[in-house]
Amino acid sequence: MGNISDQVAKDPFWFHECFLMLMPIGRKAVNFRELLEAIRSLDESVLYYHLIQSRLAPSPPAVEYPNDLAYWAANALQDSKLAEKLGSFDPFEYENMGQVRQEVVDILEDYIMDLSYIPEARSGFELHFCKASTVVVRSEINAQTLEELCDALGKVGLDSLYYHFFEARWRLGVRKADDLSYWIENNFDLPDLVRAIRDMDIYFYSLKEIRETLMSVIQQHMGEICEQTP
Amino acid sequence: MNRLHDYAALAGPEVIGQLHRLAEKLGARRFVHINSTRSGGGVAEILSRAVPLLNQLGLETNWEVIYGDQEFFEVTKAFHNALQGFKVNLPQVMLDHYREVNRENARRFTWEADFVLVHDPQPACLIEEMRGRAKCWIWRCHIDVSRPNPQVWRFLRDVVRQYDASVFSMSQFAQNLPHPQYLIRPSIDPFSEKNRDLTPEEIQAVLDRLEIKRDKPIILQVSRFDSFKDPVGVIQAFRLVRRHAPCKLVLAGGEATDDPEGPRILAEVMEAANGEPDIQVLLLPSDAHHEVNALQRAADIIVQKSTREGFGLTVTEAMWKGKPVIGGAAGGIVLQLQDYNTGFLVHSPEGCAFRIRYLLHRPELARRMGQLAREFVRQHFLITRHIRDYLTLVTLVDNPGSRIIEL
Repeated sequence: MGNISDQVAKDPFWFHECFLMLMPIGRKAVNFRELLEAIRSLDESVLYYHLIQSRLAPSPPAVEYPNDLAYWAANALQDSKLAEKLGSFDPFEYENMGQVRQEVVDILEDYIMDLSYIPEARSGFELHFCKASTVVVRSEINAQTLEELCDALGKVGLDSLYYHFFEARWRLGVRKADDLSYWIENNFDLPDLVRAIRDMDIYFYSLKEIRETLMSVIQQHMGEICEQTP
Repeated sequence: MNRLHDYAALAGPEVIGQLHRLAEKLGARRFVHINSTRSGGGVAEILSRAVPLLNQLGLETNWEVIYGDQEFFEVTKAFHNALQGFKVNLPQVMLDHYREVNRENARRFTWEADFVLVHDPQPACLIEEMRGRAKCWIWRCHIDVSRPNPQVWRFLRDVVRQYDASVFSMSQFAQNLPHPQYLIRPSIDPFSEKNRDLTPEEIQAVLDRLEIKRDKPIILQVSRFDSFKDPVGVIQAFRLVRRHAPCKLVLAGGEATDDPEGPRILAEVMEAANGEPDIQVLLLPSDAHHEVNALQRAADIIVQKSTREGFGLTVTEAMWKGKPVIGGAAGGIVLQLQDYNTGFLVHSPEGCAFRIRYLLHRPELARRMGQLAREFVRQHFLITRHIRDYLTLVTLVDNPGSRIIEL
């Protein structure tokens, strides 16, 4: 592994930038029952936004939940138990959004069975459903070696990490695959590193944490070629 | 005017690179913004900064303003109130006058464009006369229309549905319209006179000129004298605080040429503040950006106790200055303030008083809250993000039907 950092890939890895434009659909949920009804009936693109894409939207610094639904349950319904269930759910364990929707519906239906009252959002905290359109542009940052990759990871925006780790899962149609590990797999003989990247708990992390964890994972496998981001 | 690359130090160099790449992909396009005032209010402030930056990116961008008489602005103010949920009476003769003023302005305009962004209801009717002058018409609504008066919204909806897309500041403002609706949050310019760094001497000079002594903690609300900003509620909160903690209240309001209601609300405020030497009510001209900046930087706690709010840029400005902010749980304030982190949300004068006292007694928490608030604004609400949204928007509108566009 001594000179792996100098090995040049057949094709460079081009980082892409991803610009999200939210599209509100004019529908909201004010209580648990309306949430369930909306999840059952709304377009998959709406569910996709609230479970996946919303991490590119502005959010306060101390949000611990990985998706909008869990955050809304905690913050607006003030129902910690529901927030725990929705926060533990990982859409990347499913093959498509149809399965994801069914799993969320199952969680909510199971939960409603035990409810003695229907929790209601406080005023001003209703869940307003959105979908999103995206514009993707190739950035000017690329990497041909793992050293260059490490250097680039410290420079690219969080939207690039979102694109290559979140959008990629659905775009590639391969479970547990992201653009970066896919590129490493196809250009370097480093199966342990590929596996370590694919084993990262992507959905749970914020984008900033993904950057830090990724740098750390590569560093562990490659020694000192990467410098930790500040 | 600052150059785009100046913003790299605050927003990050990668952000500036993104703007150039997006603009380059769009190519040479003509972009027109239209609103109803050159000064006063958040829209004019954003446009005065965004239009030069868009031009620097190579988009030929012009800012046009419609003119109207007092009667016209009374109609549009009534629109504004009605769209925010107030009951108003708008007889047909007033609606006719609104249309006629738009027609007169349309006759005066000579521009042609690829994209036109029409801000708020005042110039919305221009599309009826000028549809062929631009390829894409986008209606940009800055108002909280979450609970509009149905009669007024029906009238306006018939106009707005002619557009190719609408843009709102919050998802709860979206309406039932036959075209794509997008969300763009407003922004502040960190280099504008209202937000640039000031020296302690500059701040003190403004306080001296406005005769504000720093002998007690300063509580500040900056906003138009508008009933939705609840300045009287702020005075009630202040009176509750004063029973327990020494402090002073400054209510600073700007004037806008398109707001005929201001003098009446100001009179109500003056009456509510009567007899209280620690309340200072300042009526500032619409271009008093330097003074507002100094006041915000001198304040210990900043309040924006709105009961309805489009977005609440005064909250954003205060957060950018690293101040602890207490805001009414309305519109975009909810998006910006998170309890114990970036600020406090309140629902009543009592709640406002409670949080003022809370912060006055916990200066370290107030300081930390201010730091988090500034970083939150840096990441999400600077003008560079706004420009990026404009470029993304027109890219999407230029490619109708596509939800993912790879350029």
